[in-house]
Amino acid sequence: MKKTIVAATVALSTFGFLGVWLYEPGPLGSETVAVAAPAPSTVSSSDGGASEGAERTIDGSVESNRYGTVQVRLVISAEDRISEVRLLRQPTSGRGVDAIPVLQEETLTAQSADIDTVSGATSTSESYVKSLQAALDAR
Amino acid sequence: MNRVEQVMGLPVSVDVRAGGALVDHAIDGVFGWLREVDARFSPFKADSEVCRYDRGELAPSGLSDDLLEVLSLCDHYERLSGGAFTARLPGRRLDPNAVVKGWAVQRAASLLLAEGLDVFCVNAGGDVVTSGEPEPGRPWRVGIRHPERLDAICAVVESSGGAVATSAEYERGAHILDGRTGRPATGLLSVTVTADDLVTADSLATATFAMGTEGIAWVASQRGCQVLIVDAERQVHRSPGLRLA
Repeated sequence: MKKTIVAATVALSTFGFLGVWLYEPGPLGSETVAVAAPAPSTVSSSDGGASEGAERTIDGSVESNRYGTVQVRLVISAEDRISEVRLLRQPTSGRGVDAIPVLQEETLTAQSADIDTVSGATSTSESYVKSLQAALDAR
Repeated sequence: MNRVEQVMGLPVSVDVRAGGALVDHAIDGVFGWLREVDARFSPFKADSEVCRYDRGELAPSGLSDDLLEVLSLCDHYERLSGGAFTARLPGRRLDPNAVVKGWAVQRAASLLLAEGLDVFCVNAGGDVVTSGEPEPGRPWRVGIRHPERLDAICAVVESSGGAVATSAEYERGAHILDGRTGRPATGLLSVTVTADDLVTADSLATATFAMGTEGIAWVASQRGCQVLIVDAERQVHRSPGLRLA
């Protein structure tokens, strides 16, 4: 597969159609987006042949926190393929011109402390049984 | 009330600082939701929506809003990380798990809040969402697992109404791949990210780990998160604003 930055949603399309991204950065939280109700579809079952369906859009839900908002719109062609993926909104994080904050450097230590929970993968039931988290959960 | 169950292949503990039948019922709802997510989105269950879509049995227009949301998030972090974070490695099945867990657990927290419960800590395989304070004036204290010592922690961060996620190899060996190369990620021992929500914290932690040492500067430049990173030289890189206990 060619190394292009392609929307996963498009790359994942069973048809492998390459979509075009439209970047529409705007002031955070200032846009209101009308959510289009998907038109009733009559999807042809033929392999990419003609179909009676009409082009329509599906909007993803709005995901936001105080740093930004993400929402995508998929354009579904009459042949029931993703013909385009548009970012209706996207956060500005990572795309700004801020200088990279300097991280503090310190040496790795082991600590013991009064804690409520543990962050760090306990991926298997065996590792969990032996973990600090299990001891906390058993309290 | 504290309950632990194995779901989505992970030990998940729900610690709610309240009691009674209503709390019990709300926790039932959390585990029910997580089991539903597992059935719908597991790349290991042939009849899941993810697998059916991957095999071409579902058209994009036939996907649930939830899956569209997850795929959109996968795509967002794939672009943000220059491809280091990806739900689709060449030659592999579609695997949006890196986003699904954080997304599902964050929604589980919303379920508890919707039941009027606002003091809790949910830990799903080491990824944590908190709300409120377990004691007045004291935030939840989240120990960060030491990358090399099973029985030790290397830092303690404070959290109330936020998320803490850690990406590391630990006992699983090299399981996080750099999507740009398809090869196991190297250079970092563990990456902890705190953010307002677990989707952000978990996705940024995984992407940073996948990027290796260059992920340090990359994640430092992301807004809305604080980090604690241990590199392969055993040096710790920490955001000045990280809330340490």
